[in-house]
Amino acid sequence: MTASDYLDLIIKSLLLAGIYAAMAVGMTVIYGVMKIVNLAHAGFLMMGAYFAFVLFNRFHIDPVLGAILALPAFFLFGMAMHWLLVRWLPKSDTPTLSSLLLMFGVWLVLQNLGYMIFGSEDSSILTPRTLASVQLGDISIPLVSLIVFIAAVVSLVLLQIIFNRSWFGRSMRSLIQNPYAAKIVGVDDERTARLTFGLGTAFAGFAGALLAMLYSFNADFGRPFLLRSFVIIVLGGLESVSGVAIGALVLALLETFSVQVLPASYQPAISFALLVVVLIIMPKGIAGLLQRKLKVT
Amino acid sequence: MAPVAARRYTFVLPWVIFLALLLLPLTDLSSNTIRLLFTTAVWIIAGIGWNLVGGFTGQVSFGFAVFYGLGAYVTALMINGGRSPYFAFLGGIAIAVLASFFVSMPTFRLRGPYFAIATIGVGEATRVIMNNLDITGGASGYRIFEKRAFNQLEHYYSAIVLMALALAISSLIVHSKFGLALRAIKQDQDAAAAVGVNHYLSKLWIHAVAAAMTGLAGGLYARYHAFIYPGDVFAFQTSIYILLIPVIGGIGTVWGPVLGGIVFGIVEEELVVHFPNIHLLLYGSVLIAIVLLEPDGLIGLLRRLVRFFWRRREDSGSKDPDEILWGRSGLEGREL
Repeated sequence: MTASDYLDLIIKSLLLAGIYAAMAVGMTVIYGVMKIVNLAHAGFLMMGAYFAFVLFNRFHIDPVLGAILALPAFFLFGMAMHWLLVRWLPKSDTPTLSSLLLMFGVWLVLQNLGYMIFGSEDSSILTPRTLASVQLGDISIPLVSLIVFIAAVVSLVLLQIIFNRSWFGRSMRSLIQNPYAAKIVGVDDERTARLTFGLGTAFAGFAGALLAMLYSFNADFGRPFLLRSFVIIVLGGLESVSGVAIGALVLALLETFSVQVLPASYQPAISFALLVVVLIIMPKGIAGLLQRKLKVT
Repeated sequence: MAPVAARRYTFVLPWVIFLALLLLPLTDLSSNTIRLLFTTAVWIIAGIGWNLVGGFTGQVSFGFAVFYGLGAYVTALMINGGRSPYFAFLGGIAIAVLASFFVSMPTFRLRGPYFAIATIGVGEATRVIMNNLDITGGASGYRIFEKRAFNQLEHYYSAIVLMALALAISSLIVHSKFGLALRAIKQDQDAAAAVGVNHYLSKLWIHAVAAAMTGLAGGLYARYHAFIYPGDVFAFQTSIYILLIPVIGGIGTVWGPVLGGIVFGIVEEELVVHFPNIHLLLYGSVLIAIVLLEPDGLIGLLRRLVRFFWRRREDSGSKDPDEILWGRSGLEGREL
């Protein structure tokens, strides 16, 4: 491999990391605030993909605009989901059996609704942009990946601003840090949880719509991404938004470069292998590892 | 009076059911009914296994198809290698137990949802590998040539006896000191550790026992069907089915998987015939409904009924009859 090949792969992984981060961040906020592992995330990703697909096919709305429209639509959908189902779950500091089973049931329902409505064939969104690319010296970058990357990064920056500057972000952070203390100082945990679930779902739908521009999809679209999301948030230390970005980058680099060594059909095994390694070596994620190192020195 | 009678029922009832199942083929049953009973018994064995980990210990696994499939494939390979099928079952069990350590050793060291999510990943990874493995024919499947005439009754009896064995093991574990430790872990891991329960080793071993049962179920299935492929035995759907059986019946109860397996076996048969496309949709809805409305499943429903009628007939109620009939409430410490 030449140097430009390496550069090419690094750029590819960077672009992939952007969308991975947007995809995982929805799961992170929900886990952080409610300690629920949102297995229905896979279903929301799939719905986001079909949301953009339907908008594009029926109403000829550009998929990028479709992804942006997915944000408010899925925000409302997530809040409804929380009001209808999630809020009845017992509250706990650790993920409960019932929350895992409930979200799993929701995922099953969403996935099979997808099969019922859209059939089991793969669909894809094809625009004139799909095959276009940008030339940068020797390296050509697919235009779609670039657009998706920019959209993902912008959304993450917006989320970070909400997280740090708004009243809602502050109550979210306080619930993540210490739910009891947060309640004592008057944080409305029920309302914050509802908004957080909406936010997480919104990001899932948004990421799903973005992913739909890159890959073909069917009703089982979310499954491979569910495990990836989880690996990313474990790498990022489960609860921090900036950790997610690092985790996404690590996974993306590993996946892109592993194609050189492993046959592509083994790719789904990579995220699992990474998960096992991470769990053994650094159970608190990269951030935890750094903290430990700093404490020692 | 009631508790004594109830205790007598709980002692006699399993034997009556077991005898009835053994004598059933003597009546003129169609081979299709026997097949249905066989399949149900296989599902029940796997469900009992899942219930040990998911129900009693509170560690949900979404990847039991791994053990099911490995049991099936190892059994198939050994039967084709000329071994006796019962020896082959043992081989399947051994490999399933080994695989269980591979999943549980890294994940059970940590608290939190790591185990549950890792099981999804392990299922994916195993299916991918099996789809590309040459010695088993990859995705196109593997055929089993047993050097004996096909005898449906032998399959049936082996499944029934092994099911009874699995149920007995599960009951023994639950009522032993080890079972108490598992329940303690489910309710509060820290408190359990404080009274001297090694939660890591306990989870590891119970997961191994569960994997053994599931591997056995896979082996039984493979021997009966004589043809297996990764898209079936390693499918995510298989994991879902194995999980649903105890959840429907009553998670964390000895008899839950049995009840759930019977209902599931019959319902699956009908659903697949009449609604091939939406049966998973229905299962998902059932799962949501059970979690939100009756977390103890059918057993919980029955318990409510029994309590209702017992209250009406007798007023003393010094001891809850249902505690003897159904075991301690699964409600206590339902959480991880």
